[in-house]
Amino acid sequence: MNEMMRADALTHDSEGVKIAIRNLNFYYGSGKPSLKNINLSLLTNKVTAFIGPSGCGKSTLLRVLNRMYQLYPNQRAEGEVLLDGQNILGPGVDVNLLRARVGMVFQKPTPFPMTIFENIAFGIRLYEKLPKSEMDARVEEALRGAALWDEVKDKLDASGLSLSGGQQQRLCIARTVAIKPEVILFDEPCSALDPISTAKVEELMDEMSDRYTIAIVTHNMQQAARISDKTVFMYLGEMVEMDDTDKIFTSPAQKRTQDYITGRFG
Amino acid sequence: MNPFYARRRRTSSIAMALCLGATIFGLAWLTLILFTLFWNGFAGLTVAMFTEMTPPPNAQGGGLLNAIVGSLILTVLGIGVGAPIGLLAGTYMAEYGRFSKITSVIRFINDILLSAPSIIIGLFVYGAVVVPMGGFSGLAGALALAVIALPVVVRTTEDMLLLVPTQLREAAVALGMPQSYMIRKITWRAARVGLVTGLLLAVARVSGETAPLLFTALSNQFWSVDLTKTMANLPVTINNFINNPDPNWKRLAWAGALLITLAVLSLNIVARSLSGGRNPK
Amino acid sequence: MTDMILQEGAVEAPTNAWRAKALASFKLGDSVFRLLAQIAAATVLLLLGGIIISLIIGAWPAISTYGFDFLTTQRWAPNARPNPVLGGLGPIYGTLISSVIALLIAVPVGLGISIFLTELCPQWLRRPVGVAVELLAGIPSIIYGMWGFFVLGPMLADSIEPAIVDAVENIPVLNVIFAGPASNLSLFNASLVLAIMILPFVTAIARDVFNTVPPVLKEAAYGLGCTTWEVVRRVVIPYTRVGVIGGVMLALGRALGETMAVTFVIGNSFRITGSIFGPGTTISAAIASEFAESRDLHQSALILLGLLLFVLTFFVLAAARLMLMRLERKQGV
Repeated sequence: MNEMMRADALTHDSEGVKIAIRNLNFYYGSGKPSLKNINLSLLTNKVTAFIGPSGCGKSTLLRVLNRMYQLYPNQRAEGEVLLDGQNILGPGVDVNLLRARVGMVFQKPTPFPMTIFENIAFGIRLYEKLPKSEMDARVEEALRGAALWDEVKDKLDASGLSLSGGQQQRLCIARTVAIKPEVILFDEPCSALDPISTAKVEELMDEMSDRYTIAIVTHNMQQAARISDKTVFMYLGEMVEMDDTDKIFTSPAQKRTQDYITGRFG
Repeated sequence: MNPFYARRRRTSSIAMALCLGATIFGLAWLTLILFTLFWNGFAGLTVAMFTEMTPPPNAQGGGLLNAIVGSLILTVLGIGVGAPIGLLAGTYMAEYGRFSKITSVIRFINDILLSAPSIIIGLFVYGAVVVPMGGFSGLAGALALAVIALPVVVRTTEDMLLLVPTQLREAAVALGMPQSYMIRKITWRAARVGLVTGLLLAVARVSGETAPLLFTALSNQFWSVDLTKTMANLPVTINNFINNPDPNWKRLAWAGALLITLAVLSLNIVARSLSGGRNPK
Repeated sequence: MTDMILQEGAVEAPTNAWRAKALASFKLGDSVFRLLAQIAAATVLLLLGGIIISLIIGAWPAISTYGFDFLTTQRWAPNARPNPVLGGLGPIYGTLISSVIALLIAVPVGLGISIFLTELCPQWLRRPVGVAVELLAGIPSIIYGMWGFFVLGPMLADSIEPAIVDAVENIPVLNVIFAGPASNLSLFNASLVLAIMILPFVTAIARDVFNTVPPVLKEAAYGLGCTTWEVVRRVVIPYTRVGVIGGVMLALGRALGETMAVTFVIGNSFRITGSIFGPGTTISAAIASEFAESRDLHQSALILLGLLLFVLTFFVLAAARLMLMRLERKQGV
């Protein structure tokens, strides 16, 4: 373990590593890799932000972490992604279990076509058979966890689609939280939301950060600066730099990072 | 206005007048058909039609009860066999085999089946079911209708499932949901209005079909719900009655035709209002 | 490394093992469902194969007896002694002629209606007319046949057809094609019924195809001062040509195989007469009227006709779909 950790220059030995990505290459079909030799670690119960211009591979990277890419043929990943030391890209991995442990929140809110209650209960039922009262408690807990309970407690039987965009996104977060994941991946969770909803979701992420290992892809530099502990700057499928967020935004080691952050390109 | 421009304007007006003329011409024929149908069929639309058996030739009165019930049985069975297979096949195409070559092949073949002459389906079922079973039967008729319904359901299922946004699938899968579960609980549910529309269109398509029943279910003149024997049904009964000089039979045939048309039209209207307009082809 | 995993494992392992177990209970259902879907998809393919094979088997006695002569023989005498004489030329001819005439009538009218619907029709009228047309496409074909037999046939035979016969009496060629006497049952009547039946179909497809023209293109043309007709002629039709031809082929496929609308009004005569006002028959009409009472070689010959019809429509429909797919691809770009 120690050897491995030392090999990862960006890991601080004192903190736990939740996900370690090693020599990761990713291909959409044949041809050049879309991710080139990525090496980095996500620390337990820390927020890691991924920034970079469109098409730099940050969303792709996120979709490797729960093997979402697997839904599509011709997409493949090489290298290792270790979740608690276990390679999730290896054979014999239960992908569904992996996704239960590594939850994901998408760019656009995606409530299921069912009631608010069912949106939450649905995922729980996959893993646990609960009596009605316990299920009610779990749904409430999840909705509270997503700071949505007060807004929807009187209309749990309304369709999830009847909520506003920001509420829908928080419903999706509640849905993800409800099945008790260890890691949550946020793929530009606020890009479809108005500023007020964005603030609420950000606040929520901040609150969640002491319980979950969080990875967030964002185009919004302020957002990355506000909520993350670590920031990764990616460019053209490569990781340019990863460091403490404060450091990245004040004195990045790389010129390209500096240029991007100051808005000189991207 | 210069003369060249005036000529262009004139050409356009003439062409557009012809288009208007075509519309009036076309709609006039179609109106005439509906008018004829109502004119001849309305008188026969009585309670007796739904409560009495088909009469013998040159008798008075009678109804179409056995034919109506037979048609219902054949349609329900045909849809009952064709629709689930079509639903699953369309699901395969839109979900499991979305990116595979075989799906394009299936889609192509299905489109051919969708427009294949229905009398050919009758011949097929005759060879595949009637001959081995040793005689005409309601079962053979139902299977012929199933073969006709199948491609309709396949087509609408695939179309409707493809309309379900990919993000919804990803969101479901991201919870660790097994794919079959995701399909049944999320995508089917998201597309349920469209799927029901497809089902209704299939019923509409099947309920007016005559040709494939002519030598599968045949028809008969009495009450029979035995699937291994010939089974009375509306389209073939209409066909037989209308070709006979007996005025009583003719009257019933027109009434039956009106009944089928009303059923088909209302199914289409319901399907269309559900889906908000477009007819999936 | 080991103690770290143990440490972590102490917290996470029980829940994950439990979840893995819960997920495992879905495994069987998951694969069964997938298998069922695959089987259903395969059914579609097998169905086509089954249809072709069953038709070939059924038609085999006739094929081996008559061979290619079947295509060139006009005589249809199932009860001839000692052996039945059966040739398919009459119904094949009738099928092709009636479909072609039907298309000649339905296509221009259908295109006219769809141009009206997409370019001229006031917005509020578009949907009702469009829906009416689509609904009419769903009316069972037997209704068209009954109407043709009782209304259209007598109407044509009493007024229009005699007038045409008289008018062309002394014009060569035409006086053969339009030779009398006019009858309730004729190739022409069948063609007209077919035309009216496929009209809503042609219209609906053409309208959908015309609607694929990007509005920008039309607006650009109008912006240059083009008249409506010029926009249709120079923008809409060139842009959609492949799709329109595909739609016409689809309609042809429908006309070729249509049974009930034709059987009522065509007269079921296997003899070919030069006049389109004379009776004739089509493949589907021949099958519909004779099959139930046929046997042996007679039945096999009818199945052979069906096989020919299927092959014919298969190629027409395949061509139609390929053309429509080309239009869709163009749209997708």
